[in-house]
Amino acid sequence: MNTKLLSNPFNITYPTAVQTSLYSQASFAKFDPSGRFVAAGLPDGSARIWDLDTKSTVRWLEGHVKAVTSVDWSRYSRYVLTSSKDWNVVIWDLASDTDPPRRVATVRFDAPIASASFHPRNSQILLVLLSVGEAYIVDLRKEHRGRTELCEPDDADEDSRQRNAAFTVARFDPSGKHIFIGTSAGYIVVFNSRTKTMVARHRIAGAGILKGLDFTKSGRRLATNSSDRTLRQFNLPVYPSPPSIPTSSFTPPPSSPPSNLSNGANGSNEMNEVNGTINMDASILETELEPMYRFHDPINKVAWHSMSYSPDGDWLAGGAADNATHKIYIWDLQNEGQFASALDGGREPLVHIHWHPTKPMIASTTNRGNILIWHCPTPERWGAFAGGFEEVDENVEYEEREDEFDIEDESDFIMRKQRMEEEPVDIFALEDTPTSTSLNALTSTTTNGHSHNPHHSLSAPLPHPHRQWHDSSSGANGTEVASRSRDEDEDLAWADEDPDEDYMEWRLKVLMEEDEDVR
Amino acid sequence: MQDGIRNSGSPNGILYEAVVESPPPAESSVTPQDVLVVPEIENTVIEDSVIVDSHYDISVQASVVDENQDMVLATTDVNISGQDSFTMEYSESPSQDIDMQDAAVAFDQKPLSTPPLTATLPAKDEPIPTSSVHLTLNGTKPPNGAVLQPQDTTPAYRVKFIMSGHTRSISSIKFSPDGTMLASAAADKLVKIWDPEHGELLDTFEGHTEGISDIAWSSDGEFLASASDDKTIRIWSLETGEVAKVLKGHTNFVFCVNFNPQCNLLVSGGFDETVRVWDVARAKPLKTLPAHSDPVTAVTFNHDGTLIASCAMDGLIRLWDTDSGQCLKTLADDDNPICSHVKFSPNSKYILASTQDSTIRLWNTQTSRCVKTYTGHTNRTYSIFCDFAPGGAYIVSGSEDSKVYLWHLQNRQIVQVLEGHRDVVIAVASNPTRPMIASASVEKDLTIHVWVDTNAETLDS
Repeated sequence: MNTKLLSNPFNITYPTAVQTSLYSQASFAKFDPSGRFVAAGLPDGSARIWDLDTKSTVRWLEGHVKAVTSVDWSRYSRYVLTSSKDWNVVIWDLASDTDPPRRVATVRFDAPIASASFHPRNSQILLVLLSVGEAYIVDLRKEHRGRTELCEPDDADEDSRQRNAAFTVARFDPSGKHIFIGTSAGYIVVFNSRTKTMVARHRIAGAGILKGLDFTKSGRRLATNSSDRTLRQFNLPVYPSPPSIPTSSFTPPPSSPPSNLSNGANGSNEMNEVNGTINMDASILETELEPMYRFHDPINKVAWHSMSYSPDGDWLAGGAADNATHKIYIWDLQNEGQFASALDGGREPLVHIHWHPTKPMIASTTNRGNILIWHCPTPERWGAFAGGFEEVDENVEYEEREDEFDIEDESDFIMRKQRMEEEPVDIFALEDTPTSTSLNALTSTTTNGHSHNPHHSLSAPLPHPHRQWHDSSSGANGTEVASRSRDEDEDLAWADEDPDEDYMEWRLKVLMEEDEDVR
Repeated sequence: MQDGIRNSGSPNGILYEAVVESPPPAESSVTPQDVLVVPEIENTVIEDSVIVDSHYDISVQASVVDENQDMVLATTDVNISGQDSFTMEYSESPSQDIDMQDAAVAFDQKPLSTPPLTATLPAKDEPIPTSSVHLTLNGTKPPNGAVLQPQDTTPAYRVKFIMSGHTRSISSIKFSPDGTMLASAAADKLVKIWDPEHGELLDTFEGHTEGISDIAWSSDGEFLASASDDKTIRIWSLETGEVAKVLKGHTNFVFCVNFNPQCNLLVSGGFDETVRVWDVARAKPLKTLPAHSDPVTAVTFNHDGTLIASCAMDGLIRLWDTDSGQCLKTLADDDNPICSHVKFSPNSKYILASTQDSTIRLWNTQTSRCVKTYTGHTNRTYSIFCDFAPGGAYIVSGSEDSKVYLWHLQNRQIVQVLEGHRDVVIAVASNPTRPMIASASVEKDLTIHVWVDTNAETLDS
């Protein structure tokens, strides 16, 4: 809403200065999809939720007994997923009244957990990566309850190096259809979330162990961070969607999620036999991905701790793993990946970085645990204090109109004013400003441009004033299922079945602090 | 509001045709319904057609005049509310021959109480009767349906409850976000919570040491903030009924207060000419904006909490960015009359501002222009609240002549005037969920009136 009023003609969309520091002992910090909160995981096992409006902690998620290794937000920020070295993954519900918030679920594994994330559309589907290199999909929905390990199929001509490679990083893509897993052998393996089968394997030449993955919002581009100290950006191919066994309905494969799809070759044969919408290439896509750009530090050969795309995908921020300084490098992807700027954050070295989902804002975490919030400082416009004046950059020669100083009859003036006031005025319609629809952009699928918006009045003018009398319904995501085309959306439909209770209008209750001291 | 002859095409209401018909004279054989039987009179002229809306309480002075406007054939004071016709008696029979076609029906409205009335005389070549003329109003829909806000029913608010309990001037009333409760604050240092559905007092909050100027609900209905002359703001918890926080920081009377839609911030303005933003959970001031050069009379957030609008007695309306505290814009009209109240429209594109020159203006925030002006009430001394009426098609405001005014949002005409208070109506509030308005008054009349629109089709009560 304010972008119009705060218009900056140069429109630099990466942050340049530190706005505030949140003093904490965080190991990493992550913005929520709405951009209001920051979740930080601490080495003592707790996680904190900070409110950016008030720059203070609003929730303490205490429960883990060992360090928190990752944090993820659900689509509308209601649920938070924390994973820890104590072999547990916990889902917290921020809409609950208590502090610490209610735990929705706790999932136990048999090894420390390296990372865990929600499916972008349904927070009941989790992707968990253990530190021993195994990845699991956990489905908490009643109908699909189960835990599936994601394994590569054993092929005869498999490169033995890759067969034994451990998974080192695992992420959902923004649509949720695929899971991208980086391995210690420099491969990216792609699984389909619904069928849990591998659909592609990409070799990345020269990369060592893959340490990080980040997607642009559209899901078309991927950035990887690997142990050869290089960040690479790739354009992703479109992956064919393996059809489910009964192809003519939305129901998932009738069998409960197979515990181990170990026979990939057979699996693909099976699919070939089935009737229906078979894509020509139902076997595994094996290609070597060539990066579009490579980013590295040629001078100091510094490695990267993490990287993050800007919301529009035009900028890539990389956090340098430099022990002496806190440096964030920004590359301009619109201009051939040129280096744009290096932000200096002071003495405390950086350990993590995350870009705000909608604004030019970055949260970088230092090794002391402080979270620096970077923003684009807008210079104060003193002309705003005087009504009716516009600031101009240069002197303008003013040419008055021919009739500028004509003395107008008072009644004419009044008549003109009356006539101008006849113009209709709409006090309800919200136009789609970037901020209000960022959430919609986040939730819209790549293949289907239809944006999710269960809450009517935000996206369209109220056609009838009486509609106001109705209470706004909490949009169940499942209602969107029927309106989609069949083919491409089986995966989405599968994800949307039995939707979670995360919806846009949930509210974080303001809990009054007991006394002045912050815990 | 001139006398009511106007061109057709008025955007509200219904087009009527006035059929002038004769009374059944004793010896005439013409049936009353259609044809006018008049004595032979020539040279009539037709007036323009005008529009009458018979849903209103209309009390008018109607007169039939001839073309030259020098001869009044009949005048009458008549209340034609909801009626289809009325009769006008002649005081004396016309001395000249006047054709009805040249006659005109002129409605002289009681000032400011109704929209302009109009009536059409048919192009009938009929003379005027001798003793009286019976005018019938028939209705037809306007051809192009130029109704901008599709409100088919015009408001007919009627008093439902009159609630009293405060012992000194009431200063502010606000409905809770779910519309089930009404909170009121007064100079007697108390905040009272009422049930507007049943007209009962639910609760009283005590604690301020001086009179209270403003109250505000949080958007989840959990908290109530009150701004008082004791320089503090108290946040009351509805759950416990006790004060949850006391915000200290203002150096003079706090005059206005509001929560943001997420309820984690509070903005307040006061006689110390500053606007302060507070962290609700911690009761700490976050920002102090050097907003104005005179006491700040109103502060409010926009619908997503990113903007703050403030107005003050220096006549300026300023828009601030919540995040950075920077001033984004200043809206000022030519004269800078003291500004009493500002409110964002639901989509935050417009600001409704009332000023103490008896005018309410609707400003477009993006173009900084005033797009609508509403006049007719009196506002010269008090900071009177104004609001968008339930349904969003009307503007409601109190007035210093003890009445509540409702204007049509688009055509700026007064659509209803609610009478009943006996002193300045300083505060009005519109219920967010039902067609209900509350109004409160000062010293001589310490009551809160709850008005319900009997015309509104409530889909769920």
